[in-house]
Amino acid sequence: MAVASVTHAGAGEPPADRLYAETRELRLQGFLLFLISDCVLFSSFIFAYLYLRNSGQGWPPPGIKHLDVAFAAWNSVLLFGSGATMHYALENWKHGNFIKYMWMLIFTIILGAGFLGGQGYEYTHLIFGEHVSWWGSGIFGASFFTLTGMHGFHVFVGVCYLTVLLMQSAAGVYTGEKYFGITAGTLYWHFVDVIWVVLFSIFYLI
Amino acid sequence: MVEHRAQPVRLGRGFWMVTALLAVLGAAGIVFWYVFPLEQYLPAAIVTARQVDTLFRFMAATGTALYVFVLGYLVYFALAFRVRASDPPDAIGLQIHDNPKLEFWWAIIPVLFVILLSVVSVRIWYEIMLEPENGIVVQAIGHQFDFTFRYPQINGEISDEMHLPVNVPVTLNLTSSDVIHSFWVPAMRLKNDTVPGLVTTIRFTPRLTGRYQIICTQFCGVLHSQMNKQVLVVEDKTAFNAWYRGMQIKNAHVSNALPAAGGGAISLAGGSAPAGQTLFQQKCSACHAIGPFDQRIVGPGLKGVLHDPAHPNLVNGDPATPADVAKILQTGYTGSIGTMPNATTNGLSTQDIANLVAYLETLK
Amino acid sequence: MSTQAAQLTHGGGIADHIHPEPQGFVRRYVFSIDHKIIGIQYIITAWVFFILAGLLAETIRTQLLNANGGFVSPETYNEVYSIHGSAMVWLVVIPMLTGGFGNLIFPLQIGARDVAFPWLNMLSFWIFPVAGLMLFSSFLMGAPTAGWTEYPPVSLQGAPGTSMWAAAIFLVGVSSTLTGINFVVTLLKMRAPGMTFTRMPLFVWGQFATAPLLMIATTALAAALAALFMERVFGVPFYDPTKGGSPVLWQHMFWFYSHPAVYIMILPAFGIISEVLPTFSRKPIFGYKLIAFSSAAIALAGFMVWAHHMFTSGLAPYLQLPFMILTFAIGVPTGIKIFSWTATLWGGKIHLTTAMLFAIGFIALFTCGGITGIFLAAVPYDLDVHGTYFVVAHFHYVLVGGSLMGIFAGMYYWFPKMSGRLLNETLGKIHFWTFFVGFNGTFLPMHWLGVEGMPRWVATYDPQFEFWNRFASVSSYVMGIAILVFFVNVVWSVRNGKKAGPNPWGGRTLEWMIPSPPHYYNFKQIPTVYGLPYDFSHPLPYKGLEDELTDTPPVAAGAH
Repeated sequence: MAVASVTHAGAGEPPADRLYAETRELRLQGFLLFLISDCVLFSSFIFAYLYLRNSGQGWPPPGIKHLDVAFAAWNSVLLFGSGATMHYALENWKHGNFIKYMWMLIFTIILGAGFLGGQGYEYTHLIFGEHVSWWGSGIFGASFFTLTGMHGFHVFVGVCYLTVLLMQSAAGVYTGEKYFGITAGTLYWHFVDVIWVVLFSIFYLI
Repeated sequence: MVEHRAQPVRLGRGFWMVTALLAVLGAAGIVFWYVFPLEQYLPAAIVTARQVDTLFRFMAATGTALYVFVLGYLVYFALAFRVRASDPPDAIGLQIHDNPKLEFWWAIIPVLFVILLSVVSVRIWYEIMLEPENGIVVQAIGHQFDFTFRYPQINGEISDEMHLPVNVPVTLNLTSSDVIHSFWVPAMRLKNDTVPGLVTTIRFTPRLTGRYQIICTQFCGVLHSQMNKQVLVVEDKTAFNAWYRGMQIKNAHVSNALPAAGGGAISLAGGSAPAGQTLFQQKCSACHAIGPFDQRIVGPGLKGVLHDPAHPNLVNGDPATPADVAKILQTGYTGSIGTMPNATTNGLSTQDIANLVAYLETLK
Repeated sequence: MSTQAAQLTHGGGIADHIHPEPQGFVRRYVFSIDHKIIGIQYIITAWVFFILAGLLAETIRTQLLNANGGFVSPETYNEVYSIHGSAMVWLVVIPMLTGGFGNLIFPLQIGARDVAFPWLNMLSFWIFPVAGLMLFSSFLMGAPTAGWTEYPPVSLQGAPGTSMWAAAIFLVGVSSTLTGINFVVTLLKMRAPGMTFTRMPLFVWGQFATAPLLMIATTALAAALAALFMERVFGVPFYDPTKGGSPVLWQHMFWFYSHPAVYIMILPAFGIISEVLPTFSRKPIFGYKLIAFSSAAIALAGFMVWAHHMFTSGLAPYLQLPFMILTFAIGVPTGIKIFSWTATLWGGKIHLTTAMLFAIGFIALFTCGGITGIFLAAVPYDLDVHGTYFVVAHFHYVLVGGSLMGIFAGMYYWFPKMSGRLLNETLGKIHFWTFFVGFNGTFLPMHWLGVEGMPRWVATYDPQFEFWNRFASVSSYVMGIAILVFFVNVVWSVRNGKKAGPNPWGGRTLEWMIPSPPHYYNFKQIPTVYGLPYDFSHPLPYKGLEDELTDTPPVAAGAH
């Protein structure tokens, strides 16, 4: 019994590639939606912070010293720099420059880890410095440590993921056509940068 | 593409008879809600209670009429268009996909109704919001598990009954000492939550003397079900004044009770500003903002109270000194600005007072 | 009948890819990645939690038989209604309608082989019973007592079970969010060729409107719960006013999710009704486009009205007005749907099967709940009845008279597709009528109980309210009997019900074009869709379904 054959654009591709192409589209969309949902999580806490900050007690609350904007700015340069290196890593991969890709990925990991180190240093100063300010001591600590902590956790997960990516790339898991793991890692890393732009502005600049 | 074949639409006699019946029932429903003696079940104790009843009647009447039609047509169509035993097994109905004219009307009419309802509701909302501010100011504080009431020129707190004079506007400031409660008097058709750390205000004018139940309507703990034993008493001027004088006398001793230090000058040494700040948030922020003097919640704003020479003179025509502020905290204050409770009522020890003063000094 | 295998027709892509059939009991029925099995798992688990939450409800009603209570202690009573509400919302209605019926039916209706991320789907499911057990385990450590809304500061004081509650709901929220992401991608990318948005069945539209809410709103709740947990367990102040926090902040964060949540609970049910009505009227749904687009409008507008739960909370008065007006406005698309559904009946050939009775009953009861919702939207009236039994009446009319009736309709409609057997119609009709009478007897009096002065969340009440409380409680036992009849019907019919065949109802959406129960791969060939299925005077608008009910083997598994 003859079955009507429905053709689609691209049906000339070998079936395996078509399956991969369609699956990749699904994964990309799903990953983007996951990032959107993560944005909502951050937005909710950002709302809470702004709401509490506006509740009339003055900011920072008495007894809390102002944040060190200069230090955080330098730290941010590390993070934004790692965003640039990650961008170049992906570009190098797409153009087949494996060595340059690996170096860019390594730089990204180092800069990301550097940012985390900087955050750790700042936390230590805030917690053990002259004016004790920690997570549970008031709404300043609650909002600052929760939001930057969430962000730091995301950076940490990212650094771990990129390290795994490095090892996988060295082992030849990804090919010129199939490298969704690298794309996803790049998107995630840029997401982490964007969140930091917002957090830096609302904690250090205003 | 699916074609939309035009179907003959004929509304038969049955439809019009049912429509007429529904119109009669709907009209009966409307009449019912306008005639029903709501105030017999629940007196309208304040002026705006009657407007709330008006709003209710309007919504109930229109809602009933709408519902009569929806339910009526639902039941009629379900019965009238039932498949008959004589129908072939593959019988289908009239293949009508839509009717743009009908859909237009049943979209527009609800929109117009929503606009009308908004106008009616906003008007009544304004009347509730714009109740006069020039009457008596009372404070109600929610606790686990009763309300206490505070009046100007009566020391301490009253916890058995809340009295109000009839026909005098009331500004009721609500707050809580622990968790969220809600102050509701069904006869007033009005409530508001009592929130710790916040003062919410409702204004109303009692119009009917009587005794009205006060009920907490926000879960506040294990005895929330019991938090409904108190009564609002609305009475005429003479009775109210007699009650008021009685309360002043009864509570007169409350203001003279001094903290354990014996009423002498309070030592301010060793006052801790951070501890004072916590205490401020806990006990004072319900009535005082950290802002300019004019930023009144109940009492004046306290930013700069010990520093700003432009801050109004507080004590004997001079700017307040730390010792003055300590004294006010200790003994309370009654004057043109209002009434502030003393240390005993507020539960402040001498160390607390020292801490608060230290904190107020940091508010430049 | 031919034994020639179906051909590759979609270029070897996802639509042509059939994975090998799962082997063994565990892979087939326990850790399954098949959306149909997962859907059934969700439905069964949700019914189990329904029974538990329903027993809690009967505990509530038994306590309230007497004005001075006496059935349980006040503390226990407070735990009971808090878990009843939390379980019904998060462990019954939402999972049943999204993970349950959503998973089960909409991939079939769009002509897909599965959802976009089957493994994620399995993970989403298995989180659900774990979270449910966590929620009920809170009884062992002092369950939360401040209702399903758990307002601080009182919830900060609550027993340790409150922290467990927060963790459990957070977890089930993760499940919901993942399902939302899964469904959005499936709907955007995996519809059969030719199925444009305006050719999607309305149940699919219902899921399409709900999935973004699952994804976005649930995450906002996760933040609120995480903050509450951190405050209770680690002392991090967000909500405690003595530490600079704000109790009203919780209300904003909680209701920003929970208002869209009520649309999560009703939009799929709207979708079910929109399928059942045309099938049993043998005519198209009236006003397809209006119903489809109004679902999307309701989903979007649902994000903008949350503070109508907060009119008495100390919200700045000027904010009350926009929320009031927007809430009124949502009544318009909802009303349009109600009129459209009613008009669908006109001129039909109506078969009053049990599914159809529940669908018609849904319209009758949901409309009543919708009307009282408009009452509550009017700020001056809300300032009177907020926190009273009037609100309890309203939300039970929309959630039980609405969502639950929709769920029952879906059960009677799609049980045959999933099990191959029909539910018994006689028992079904007994179920419907008993339930309808019992439901109204329970919840109608609550309207005037509230207005007259009965507050919510009370274990005892003023004796003047005793008669109607008793009336409600006895009626609730009648409802319980109806539900018992339903479960007996389900359990009996799985083995002994009349065989259904592929299309017992003469439905026209794609799920009725394949066997009952469907093969694990759903369709031998993904069909092409040429139009909306609702016109009974036209042939079915599909191409490529010729082999579905024959013995032809599918495309060889793994063949590309």
